[in-house]
Amino acid sequence: MSKFKTQNPGNQPVWVNTNNCKACDICVSVCPSGVLGMHYDASSTLGAIISVEHPEACIGCMECELSCPDFAIYVADKKDYKFAKLTDDSKKRQAEVIANNYMSLSEKRS
Amino acid sequence: MAFNYENYLRLEKMPTLWCWGCGDGVILKAFVRAIDSLGINKDDICVVSGIGCSGRFSSYVDFNTVHTTHGRTIAFATGIKLANPTKKVICVAGDGDALAIGGNHTIHGCRRNIDITFILINNFIYGLTNSQTSPTTPQGMWTVSQQAGNIDPTFNTCNLAIAAGASFVGRETVNDPKKLEKIMVKALEHKGFSLLEVLSNCHINLGRKNKMNSAIENLSWIDSITVSKKKYETLTQEEQVNLLPTGILKQDEEAAEYCDMYAEVVKVHQGKRKTITQDDFKKKI
Repeated sequence: MSKFKTQNPGNQPVWVNTNNCKACDICVSVCPSGVLGMHYDASSTLGAIISVEHPEACIGCMECELSCPDFAIYVADKKDYKFAKLTDDSKKRQAEVIANNYMSLSEKRS
Repeated sequence: MAFNYENYLRLEKMPTLWCWGCGDGVILKAFVRAIDSLGINKDDICVVSGIGCSGRFSSYVDFNTVHTTHGRTIAFATGIKLANPTKKVICVAGDGDALAIGGNHTIHGCRRNIDITFILINNFIYGLTNSQTSPTTPQGMWTVSQQAGNIDPTFNTCNLAIAAGASFVGRETVNDPKKLEKIMVKALEHKGFSLLEVLSNCHINLGRKNKMNSAIENLSWIDSITVSKKKYETLTQEEQVNLLPTGILKQDEEAAEYCDMYAEVVKVHQGKRKTITQDDFKKKI
């Protein structure tokens, strides 16, 4: 049994282990292409939890995995997955997510 | 399949006790990846940690570990290394642990140039005991023990280590985990005392009262006070004030390593050779 869920759950570029996430927002802040976003979650200590919003835009830069202090987010190996290229759309979305206080764009502005 | 951290961690201790966004977790991750890329056997590594948030480090890694008393990491590690010269000994200590309480062990560890990798996690404050001034707290910052603003001048850890004679000195931040992993590999590979200062964030105990409420704000502050060594050298002296260079600041392969010299002392007492003279040291005084 894998406690950290380092196994790919099924052809995903990036996946999360919400049991380990402490909602520090660092992964969302370092993502260049707006893949990630926080969701409100009443059961979490800080009231939010990480989620992968746009896996199709992931460029596989590994910044989120390496910057996560709590082993909560993983990026697929470059050999196993064909990652997307960085586009203007995804850069724009990332700026919007940061302006939205790292919350997912589907959440209301707080 | 992502990188499998589980091989190197004590899963029963997880999740970590550190606060959300704590840089210690990033350092732990970079350390595990560095060990993996060097391919060192788990049983050949000993991690020694002191007291403080960084002291938890040894509880999480699945190597031989010692959790020692406050500031005495180098003292314990020196003993472990001399008894097991073929093993890799790594010390992890915080800024208060290594520079205040254990300040004298740190400088004498540097002086002896014993083959220990010393990861000094500098978060600019005594985090575990709730925000007392540490030797690296920037002047003017609020702390519990100096509520009007800190007036104590700060230590420049790397300059201290260079002056004390460490043969490898480096500085990196948790902002760039890829660079951190690379410099950690170099520090682990180096034979001799290697001191790696890692600037880390403590937004809970340093940031909270100093206008850095989140981990991200604290990390961007660290970014604003560091520049790469290359860029630092092009700056004028006035611009260099309050800036810290990152990267490898000193690497000296020539200096004699303490365990090697100790082996010669053993030979003298076994009657295999006469005495040790100055010619035995690679570097002449």
